Amino acid sequence: MIDRSRKPKAKEGIYFRLPNIAKHESDNGLKVLYVKKKNLPIVQINLILNAGSKFDPDEKKGLANLFSAMFDEGAGEYDAFQLSNEIEMLGSVLHVSSDQDCIYVSLLSIEENFKRSFELLSKILTTPRFDENDFQREKRKALVRILQSKDEPSYVASIVFEKIVFGDDHPYSSPEFGLSGTVGNIENEDLKEFYKSYIIPNDSTMVVVGSVDKERIEDLEEQFLDDWKFKTHSLKRLPSPKEPKRKIYLVHKDDAPQSEIRIGHLSSPRNSKDYYAKYVMNMILGGQFTSRINLNLREQKGYTYGAHSSFNFNKEAAYFSVSTSVNSENTLDAIKEIINELGGIRQQITREELYLAKSSIIRKYPSIFETYGYIARNLTTKVIHDLPDDYFNTYIRNIQNVSLDDALKAAQDNIHTDNMIIVVVGNSNILRNRLSQLSNYELVELDTDGNEVK
Amino acid sequence: MEDYLKINYEKYKLANGLEVILYQDKNLPLVGVNIWYRVGSANEKEGKTGYAHLFEHMMFQGSKNIPKQMHFQYVQEAGGNLNGSTSLDRTNYFETVPSNFLEMALWLESDRMGFLLEALDQEKLNNQIDVVKNERRQRYENAPYGLAWEILFSDLYPPDHPYHWPTIGWMKDISNISLDDVKYFFQTYYSPNNACLVVGGDFNIDETKNLIEQYFGTIPRGEDISNITTDNIHLEKNILVVHEDNVQLPRIYITWHSTKAFSEEDAVMDILADILGGSKNSIIQKSLVFEKEIAQQVSIFQHSSRLNGCFIIVATAKPGVPLDQIKNEIFNEINKLIENGITDNELTRSKNGIKSSFIYSMQNLENMVDRINEYNFYLGEPDYFIKDLERYQKITDENVKQAAAKYLQQPYVELKIIPKNGMEMKG
Repeated sequence: MIDRSRKPKAKEGIYFRLPNIAKHESDNGLKVLYVKKKNLPIVQINLILNAGSKFDPDEKKGLANLFSAMFDEGAGEYDAFQLSNEIEMLGSVLHVSSDQDCIYVSLLSIEENFKRSFELLSKILTTPRFDENDFQREKRKALVRILQSKDEPSYVASIVFEKIVFGDDHPYSSPEFGLSGTVGNIENEDLKEFYKSYIIPNDSTMVVVGSVDKERIEDLEEQFLDDWKFKTHSLKRLPSPKEPKRKIYLVHKDDAPQSEIRIGHLSSPRNSKDYYAKYVMNMILGGQFTSRINLNLREQKGYTYGAHSSFNFNKEAAYFSVSTSVNSENTLDAIKEIINELGGIRQQITREELYLAKSSIIRKYPSIFETYGYIARNLTTKVIHDLPDDYFNTYIRNIQNVSLDDALKAAQDNIHTDNMIIVVVGNSNILRNRLSQLSNYELVELDTDGNEVK
Repeated sequence: MEDYLKINYEKYKLANGLEVILYQDKNLPLVGVNIWYRVGSANEKEGKTGYAHLFEHMMFQGSKNIPKQMHFQYVQEAGGNLNGSTSLDRTNYFETVPSNFLEMALWLESDRMGFLLEALDQEKLNNQIDVVKNERRQRYENAPYGLAWEILFSDLYPPDHPYHWPTIGWMKDISNISLDDVKYFFQTYYSPNNACLVVGGDFNIDETKNLIEQYFGTIPRGEDISNITTDNIHLEKNILVVHEDNVQLPRIYITWHSTKAFSEEDAVMDILADILGGSKNSIIQKSLVFEKEIAQQVSIFQHSSRLNGCFIIVATAKPGVPLDQIKNEIFNEINKLIENGITDNELTRSKNGIKSSFIYSMQNLENMVDRINEYNFYLGEPDYFIKDLERYQKITDENVKQAAAKYLQQPYVELKIIPKNGMEMKG
């Protein structure tokens, strides 16, 4: 008979083999990371182009984003509609996106249509059209999207937080979509120039996870990417952002029944020595459902549907933040509870908490390699942050090695309770007086673009 | 390609009525455990809405042998992922864990199926009522256009129809849910004979059957629940609703009654939705967003459930464009399609996309076991993958034309969401 009062023990350990990653560099300088996976006839490609919005000129913020919207609007002999039709006829999914650091082109296809899909992808890379009609339309769309983004309180909270945490003159402080004024300045010529300057093979990496052989990929590169030529160029590194002053910022939203909250500060970069200790510590603090912040704000107090914390790594700078959305009534209480939790983890972490966090991270490891897309995503992270080749093989050991002292020290070194900024998007008629009671935090009111309301 | 869609499974029933489906996939050392209870918001009554969804939350609050919060903690300690969801017709619970933790997952699921009430108290209920009210605020009330769905459904279905209210429930009803109500809900619907357990992934069949018998076999059978039935439903005339929201741009929703999930024309309506709105070349998107540039976004889909289905067109106006102009263009395109039919290219493109998406969706175990439960729930055929794809592949242009004529010329609900403090701009 089973004894329900006891948790069943796990069976003996499982056997899991990491995917084998092969790499090569083509004559044109394009780096390729390749994983063979053949349980299904699928090929997933992620192309990482070193060309994000951080390179946008000040008066043309939103350029990289508009470029990504235009990149697949026609290529070679196909106009925008024809190209889209060719791709969809194959049942393939092609997607271009951008963030502050990079532009990404992803392609998902079934094996039997892979060659033709790759050919179409190559056309986009080598002969994009930038037709004037398409440009004008995509630009108008981008401007309307900026208008619409004001509707979304979580988006407003995040862009206002980033604007303040990185500081106004830093490239990471601007929203990737740009502003109405700056997108208005962008011309089609700027996109063509952007293409020449940034979309170059020797500054790009292609991640391939799929059922086809590596040699086949190399053949296709030779066949279709021959016109994509090596080009020398140098990219400037960004300056370090300056730590902003401790303040609480309030952005008004009419009749909002909830407040979107962001609390945090700048943080050390992805390659810092204590990365693993930070990661384990955050798992205890706010990285998963059973973390301190969520259990307190959701399961004890009922203030929210969910609350979490994370270290957010751009390529050249990083920040720590806690995010949640709470009912208006409890906004100040929720902020105080978060501040308490941030102070608390600098005081003490229990052995039990450390064990649970490490167990969760280590045992989850096989599942983050489950799908073609997950594996490609992991390799993409490796590329963006230039992680070492043994990164995946040493990952579990590095997590295991985090001691209680390491985790506590990571909290003390990386959670700066005495110098945080707080952003709240909510109903200021209810919030203004209450938030001004938060000691040590001067209250400043901002509009949805993050500019001070006089 | 059909080889990949062919799955091997074993299905049987325990003496207490619990359906069990086992599906092996030894590709990775993972197992997915997925339970569907045949209860959803359709089992509620007007004035007592939101029970099924709130109840889903209570299922994560611990049971006789599992203290509050430990359900989450045990699964996370094992490196697993877990969640649940509630729809009109059913509630599901699922976790994917490393395969050596299968017994623990079965223990957790069986404890809350058999022994939830011992651990239920007013404090936990009050807490989750607050959480759900915040969920409602976050996902609906404070989200742009967030109330559209409940407005549409409450106009599409009359007050005594089980799809009239939103799955999360009306705010006033959520506040009033009592502990006795929750207990009654559990006793009525959460019995083994009203559920189906799917175990998928890397496991030993005999060992697992034995574990399932031990953990679930002893839970007593509940009363039989008969399926809800409703009369056929239609609108007598068009219904127009205007709602003001905190948004920058007006948006129009046009919704017709269509057909229920997995019925003959359900797949035809999926294809029709794709051809009208699924891509850059789709008829309405191409016309409204790309050529005339009167809409910023268009989305079109068939939303089908066990009792009924509906067909929904959503379009967001560009600044300064009146919604009625958008509406006229939408109906122009629909009328053209009903008159002229569709092209071979349109039909093939749509079918090819669907065919590939079947293969893509097989990458993920959590998705697979849920799909197996879905096929079993609607059709009693857990391996319906190949037949499901055939539903789409056999569709002809004539089918699409006829279905459009049959459903999209009927009365509809038209919802206009317009910016607060502003009038809908006249063109």
